[in-house]
Amino acid sequence: MRTLRLGPVVGVAAIALVAVAVPVLPLSNPTAMDIMHRLAPPSAAHWLGQDGYGRDVLSRLLWGARSSLGVAVAAAGLACVIGTGLGLIGGYLGRGAEFLTMRSMDIVLCFPPLVLALLVITLLGPGTATLIPLLALVYLPGFVRVAYAGVLSVRNQNYVEAMRVLGAGRARIMLRTILPNIGGPILVQFSLAIAAAILLESGLSFLGLGVVPPAPSWGGMIAAARATMAQAPLLLLWPCLALSGTVLLFNALCDAVRDAVDPQRVPRRRGAARVLDALAPGLVAAGGPVLDLCGLTIEIDTPAGTVCPVRDVSLQVHSGEILAVVGESGSGKSLSGLALMGLLPPAARVAAGAAWIEGQEVLRLDEAALRRIRGRRVAMIFQDPHHSLDPVHRIGAQVAEAIRAHRPVSARAARSQAVELLRQVGISDPERRAAAFPHELSGGMLQRVMIAIGIANGPRLLIADEVTTALDVTIQAQVIALLADLRRARGMGLLLITHNLALVSEVADRIAVMYAGEIVEQGSAAALLARPLHPYTQALLRSAPGEDGSLPEAIQGTVPSPQARPAGCAFAPRCTYRRPDCETAPPPLVDAGGEHLTRCIRWYEVAASVRSAETVA
Amino acid sequence: MVWVLKRVGVAVLLVAIVVSIVCLAIRLVPGDPATLLLSQGGVAPDPAAVAQLRHQLGLDQPLLVQYLASLRGILHGDLGQSLQDGSSVAGQILQRLPRTLELIGVAAVLALATGLPSGLAAGLRPGGLFDRAAGLAAALGQAVPVFVVGTGLVLIFAQTLRWLPAGGYVSFAEDPVRNMELVAMPAVTIAFGLFSVVFRMTRASVLDIARRDFVRAARAKGLARRHLLLRHVLRNALVPVVTVVALNLGTLLGGTVLVEYVFNYPGLSGMLVQAVDARDYPEVQGIVLVISVLFVSLNLAVELIYAALDPRVRRA
Amino acid sequence: MSPLLVAEGLGRDFAARGWFTRPRPVRAVADVSLSVARGEAIGLVGESGSGKSTLGRLLLGMLAPTSGRVLVDGQDLARLLPSDLRRLRRRMQLVFQDPYSSLDPRRRVGAQIGDGIAIHRLVPAAEREARVAALLAMVGLEAAHGARYPHEFSGGQRQRIGIARALATGPDLLVADEPVSALDVSVQAQVLRLLADLRARLGLGLLFISHDLAVVRSLCDRVMVLYLGRVMEEGPAAEVLRAPHHPYTRALLSAVPSLDPQHRRQRILLAGEPPSPADPPSGCVFRTRCPWVLPACATAVPPLRPVGDGHRSACIRSDIGEAGPLVAQRLHDNTTRQHEQERAE
Repeated sequence: MRTLRLGPVVGVAAIALVAVAVPVLPLSNPTAMDIMHRLAPPSAAHWLGQDGYGRDVLSRLLWGARSSLGVAVAAAGLACVIGTGLGLIGGYLGRGAEFLTMRSMDIVLCFPPLVLALLVITLLGPGTATLIPLLALVYLPGFVRVAYAGVLSVRNQNYVEAMRVLGAGRARIMLRTILPNIGGPILVQFSLAIAAAILLESGLSFLGLGVVPPAPSWGGMIAAARATMAQAPLLLLWPCLALSGTVLLFNALCDAVRDAVDPQRVPRRRGAARVLDALAPGLVAAGGPVLDLCGLTIEIDTPAGTVCPVRDVSLQVHSGEILAVVGESGSGKSLSGLALMGLLPPAARVAAGAAWIEGQEVLRLDEAALRRIRGRRVAMIFQDPHHSLDPVHRIGAQVAEAIRAHRPVSARAARSQAVELLRQVGISDPERRAAAFPHELSGGMLQRVMIAIGIANGPRLLIADEVTTALDVTIQAQVIALLADLRRARGMGLLLITHNLALVSEVADRIAVMYAGEIVEQGSAAALLARPLHPYTQALLRSAPGEDGSLPEAIQGTVPSPQARPAGCAFAPRCTYRRPDCETAPPPLVDAGGEHLTRCIRWYEVAASVRSAETVA
Repeated sequence: MVWVLKRVGVAVLLVAIVVSIVCLAIRLVPGDPATLLLSQGGVAPDPAAVAQLRHQLGLDQPLLVQYLASLRGILHGDLGQSLQDGSSVAGQILQRLPRTLELIGVAAVLALATGLPSGLAAGLRPGGLFDRAAGLAAALGQAVPVFVVGTGLVLIFAQTLRWLPAGGYVSFAEDPVRNMELVAMPAVTIAFGLFSVVFRMTRASVLDIARRDFVRAARAKGLARRHLLLRHVLRNALVPVVTVVALNLGTLLGGTVLVEYVFNYPGLSGMLVQAVDARDYPEVQGIVLVISVLFVSLNLAVELIYAALDPRVRRA
Repeated sequence: MSPLLVAEGLGRDFAARGWFTRPRPVRAVADVSLSVARGEAIGLVGESGSGKSTLGRLLLGMLAPTSGRVLVDGQDLARLLPSDLRRLRRRMQLVFQDPYSSLDPRRRVGAQIGDGIAIHRLVPAAEREARVAALLAMVGLEAAHGARYPHEFSGGQRQRIGIARALATGPDLLVADEPVSALDVSVQAQVLRLLADLRARLGLGLLFISHDLAVVRSLCDRVMVLYLGRVMEEGPAAEVLRAPHHPYTRALLSAVPSLDPQHRRQRILLAGEPPSPADPPSGCVFRTRCPWVLPACATAVPPLRPVGDGHRSACIRSDIGEAGPLVAQRLHDNTTRQHEQERAE
């Protein structure tokens, strides 16, 4: 939760203070008439002048604040307490209580607020005694709905279920667990309701149906000043300013509360992106790898300063090859993939490095040039298939759209190609599936659709970012098999980004292991799995349950956050091979022979321990 | 299809409940409603007049008889007679309703034409200069009451500059130019407030959609920016915007009261205020009934539009 | 020793509510019987939609069964008064999958761990703090951590806090619903070891719900494999994983990727996806994806029949355990061999 902006809070507090203090302030009687001095201009005795009946404008303005705010706060408060209670009961108890509260609110909502107000005033007559319960009734449904929606979203949170498992009673759960967690939206609704109630009250008073004259109210003052606005336009100005300013402040308070309560923060856009240094020509040979990534470094601006979640990452993928990039969350593996596509989130930027895809450098391209490459030369598939497709368009249209983005084919041709692609990725009955919406398909099916979109334009490089993480085990196997087949049939390079070393161990040709933003080990899959040369890789291999049913070995500690990176080797604090010199300087990536790279200064000890373990076995 | 029938069924039920509440509301008032309606300034009304009013409103009959009589009237399009001049309430409403609808329609077009593009532009570049400027305008539109805006417009354009008439009404068929001149200021007044709603909702919705995974996935396809914005961002962002705008239009059915009053515009809401002032219960009842039924129908339309825009809703 | 918890013929339907459409029950769990003894660890294995989480909630009395009953120490949960059920909750606790939503973001973790103690008035209020500190120590955290809020902890630490909260009431049975699947690989092992350690130290009965057969084997004595709410196979964990009798168990086991090239199994790629629980196939629910399917599979629901000591399988065939699969292929070997050939050419 972030801190509340102070401006609106101070403003609202000042107005509230005035409204409370009015009776003790040295003001003239707001209803005392002085016809002799009607419409008198401001003077020492009457700072804001006198109105059409010679009454003191300042006094009436401040007393008006008292009545407007009093009515609004009382009504909003009443609505808040009753509405929140009803919403809590309806949302948590469900069934009958839910039906009763929500349907009765639907009925209240059938009447537009002002119309409901006028109906009630016709029957009960105007006045404060009518206004407060009336306004409370008008704003009641808002609170009920906010509280109800809050309860519905909180009710299914595990911590509420945890309280039930612990044996807590309903009252305890509602008051101690649910209420504090829906307090934010209710507070927002409260300040919103006060602002709206001030507006509605002043509107009714303007019509002479709210606060009854001669009692002072802002709406009434504006109505009275209209009669004399040609002679004394200032009389109109003061109540208008007071009214609009107050509502503005309450709305600002509402926004401030919302911002403080809502954890989702709008990322601030950076100014001009830093331009990378130009590259000397002729650095890359023709006929080289599909992807040649050199020294990629990514920076992210955070409130606590600039952090470096990816540093000096170099990789190559050859055509027809599967390179698996393995790492835990926060290792920087996904950011590296996004950087290749030019799809880094706004806060992140490439700070150094170069990447050639089929000989073309892509980290220095502008958006228009990137667009021509994305989906055509390099395609990317993401983790969660349920959120990767636009929910409002049909599957077939979303595949066809990818085709037409790069090739000038007719809509009809694109559609039939889309159906063909769906067939190729193993979707049965592709004509029918093409007409389906994303929510009608299962996760495994959707991931196949994403793969179809990925291969639609025959890219040379396919980046698959945790594509099986959200899927069931048996479906995972299907998807990985499909990707391996496609790469073979089409000769694509496949960059498989994952946290699951076991999953890729069966299909990858080469593996790169990332930890805390760096590649710590890279080599052929067979060599890396059989003889890991970095303690982290070794520990990862041991943290999977053994084939003999033994418990996995744990790696102590946690991944360091990018803000608190150790000075030396990032893995040193968790490493069993740690020596003092591991913690002094970051270790370089060294070649241990046979293109097997490791970022460990004691890799020979690691290798020796594997060998000795083998001799024991 | 089942889903549509269900929504229509709920709407019909709500209309029936609204009708019942409006018909019975007068019975819920503490004390004798006839006496209350005739009381002016604390003077006790003439007993004979009270008795006559009680008879006219059907208060001298048992509750059920009165209720059924009112229902029968409503089904035949009869909303009773005005207490002021004995004219047909239904006839008057039919005369005035189109004027209010014209006002709301023009205001809605103005608000959408300004709010949607500016909301999209602001949502794509949050924190930018345009976002801050439009945000300020929207904050004002939300905070300044319509009767203040209206009064200000009258003061400037009618009284000082004398470009536009201060108020009144001429039907479009009679004199289109004059009609537009007269509708302009009240419509702009309403549109200002409505613009804030459209702008804020569009901006928030665009911001939300733009950071969804599927937008990133669509960018990964290499789609052209225009295509991406229109087909994916705006198309999805519209779903909540349409809902909120339509609900606000519904609120306006009764919310034009103040604007009509300020511009002396003889619409339905003006008639309502007049009737409330005169404590003409049959007239108030009739107008509230018509507005509420329109409101419920509009809500039904919103739900159907919502379903058309978002395929996920249709499944329920 | 008498079992701690016994479930007999447990079933649960969820009614799809509708005004105009005929309500169609969705059978989340059907006819499950099991018993947990003190100190025993049972693994419930299945994919999403298998009903394993629903079954966990049924056993805890968080959901009422549509058929069958749950007995805790011989008392039928359905017949208890709500207040007695709440009192009984003390003995059975739950550890959740998602370490983020399982802790109340607005309360200090010490207070949340202390909730169970306060609700059941287990120790005087003055001693509560010391008890919370002891619980934190038990899961490998420090007493000072109790004063912090959940967002200050990593996923693994939050999961430890969730375990401490569950242990606060001194339960006899812990239901752990996928407790490590949301954690980073390097942290999963820490939590698994903690659970194994606590179980040994406190003599806890453990019901471990997971999709990962390998993890279950390392932690559990017995295993029960679920598919579409039905028990496919059950038995001693080592036995079931060594010689699975049910085609689904075999397929599931073969789908678990292995790091060890010498242990690569024949991969049985199941065709298609699990059918909708609202519209399950007749007879054996697995038959639509089963490589060994026979015409007879569609006619009757196959009963669980004994295939070994305490080992039962719901398959009418008895040749699954020995005979090689009909359509399975050595996927990895084939693909790599072909690939190498292509490269050579």
